[in-house]
Amino acid sequence: MGIGKNAMTATTTQQEGLEVEALRFAYNGTEVLADIRLSIAEGEFVCLLGPSGCGKTTLLRLLAGLEKPASGTLSWKAKPITGPSLERGVVFQDYSLFPWLNLAQNISLALAKAHPEMGKKWRINLADEYLDMVGLSDARRKHPFELSGGMQQRGAIARTLALGSPVLLMDEPFGALDPINRAKLQDLVLDVWSNAAPRKTVVFVTHDVEEALYLSDRVVMLGSAPGRVIDELTVPFARPRQRRRLAVSPEFAALRERIDGQFRQDVLERIDSEEFRTAGDI
Amino acid sequence: MKRLLHGKEGVWFLVGLAAIWHLVSTYVPFSGKYLFPTPLVTFKALWISLPELLKGTGSSFIILAPGYLLAVTAAIAWGILVGTTPALNRMFSLFSRLASPVPPTVYIPYAIALLPTFRTAAGFVVFVGAFWPVFLNSVTGSSTMPQRYRDNARILGLRRAEYLWRIVLPAALPHIFSGMSVGLVFAFIMLTVAELFGASAGLGRFVQLYADYADYPRMVAGILYTGVVVLLSMELLEQIRKRVLFWVK
Repeated sequence: MGIGKNAMTATTTQQEGLEVEALRFAYNGTEVLADIRLSIAEGEFVCLLGPSGCGKTTLLRLLAGLEKPASGTLSWKAKPITGPSLERGVVFQDYSLFPWLNLAQNISLALAKAHPEMGKKWRINLADEYLDMVGLSDARRKHPFELSGGMQQRGAIARTLALGSPVLLMDEPFGALDPINRAKLQDLVLDVWSNAAPRKTVVFVTHDVEEALYLSDRVVMLGSAPGRVIDELTVPFARPRQRRRLAVSPEFAALRERIDGQFRQDVLERIDSEEFRTAGDI
Repeated sequence: MKRLLHGKEGVWFLVGLAAIWHLVSTYVPFSGKYLFPTPLVTFKALWISLPELLKGTGSSFIILAPGYLLAVTAAIAWGILVGTTPALNRMFSLFSRLASPVPPTVYIPYAIALLPTFRTAAGFVVFVGAFWPVFLNSVTGSSTMPQRYRDNARILGLRRAEYLWRIVLPAALPHIFSGMSVGLVFAFIMLTVAELFGASAGLGRFVQLYADYADYPRMVAGILYTGVVVLLSMELLEQIRKRVLFWVK
């Protein structure tokens, strides 16, 4: 079988970082992801960009170890990913925090796993520090239901910081936020990413082209039905980036246009191939 | 109590009911005042019986509280294990579907015959009555827990015991509390029925005793008093629920 062979070559060509080789995933007999190959270097910020239904969330869950692939391999630093690990922190779109625990308790629960040897008081103190880092000093003892969506996501980011994960997996974390909060949190993530030593490796799922271009080093475009990589491009803008400048930059507009064009093209090809198939059936 | 008074309609309904009761018991001559005492006579009987009723309440709760609390604890623990362990669920579900619909009152005569004292027998049937509603709701609550809690627990690498205690239990609590209020009503039913059978004290015993003496004002007073005790107990549980489930909107 080719699968075994792929696994062999994967182990020989692996670099440091996240590696996805010949990955397939199916759900109830429907192919969700087909032959995904992806190499993400340590410290790289990569956006997975695609329309709804392209399997980008599934790919992120596979990277997190929350799902098992039908075939193919995933690995982090040459170690296969077989299940969730503290090495890979996840921020979901909503509901990363447990509603019956206040912010400090939520963070403290993560700290208890990351530092099992430390006491409760130490954990709460450190939890407060992480909450300060994400701008939640005034909300330490508040519960998620008392917080806005943006504050909850700040809390979720603080939790992954507390886990000390070198890899951050983010699943459309700001999809439900208003533009202003979204921009603030994007900057928070960039701060977190660039201030950490060594830099964290970030995989950020989004369907927003501008968000992808603003945040990432590299954009991986996924097409639908089944999900597959249709293209990827390196984002050339120097950091720190400025929204104001990007907004008027012709290069930014060109990249955005190129990405939109790729997705349009993919949709048209899909429609054509389906029409062709239907015509063939008749 | 606050909720009872909040909508004045409920109070007016009770006043109306008492008025009808008064009119019927005073002016409709069917079985005499002994079988159908007027409200005034009944409340007088309630007043003079109050010390006895309070003592009876104490005696009832000595049986009810341990039986109920034990049932709740066991049902939550076992229910969460069954709800999160498919193999255990497959093993236990046939038995639970068979045993849970049996009206627990049918166990009373046998429990009294089988167990050494009335207290243990009554405690046992209270346990059985309260167990099933809490158990079934614990299973539902823990097996239908939203996927996102499980995902987050796995991300954090929680061990199974931590997962059950810190995640599944709180997530299942809304279901568990509805099971607990049904279970509490069942516990009262079981207890008072058991006391009708063979207690030397308690609320059910009070009603049975004065029925035997044909002292119907006292008997009706006992029934009314029991209703109030159940109501207050339910209200207490509701207050606890609100505190514990502060995070549920």
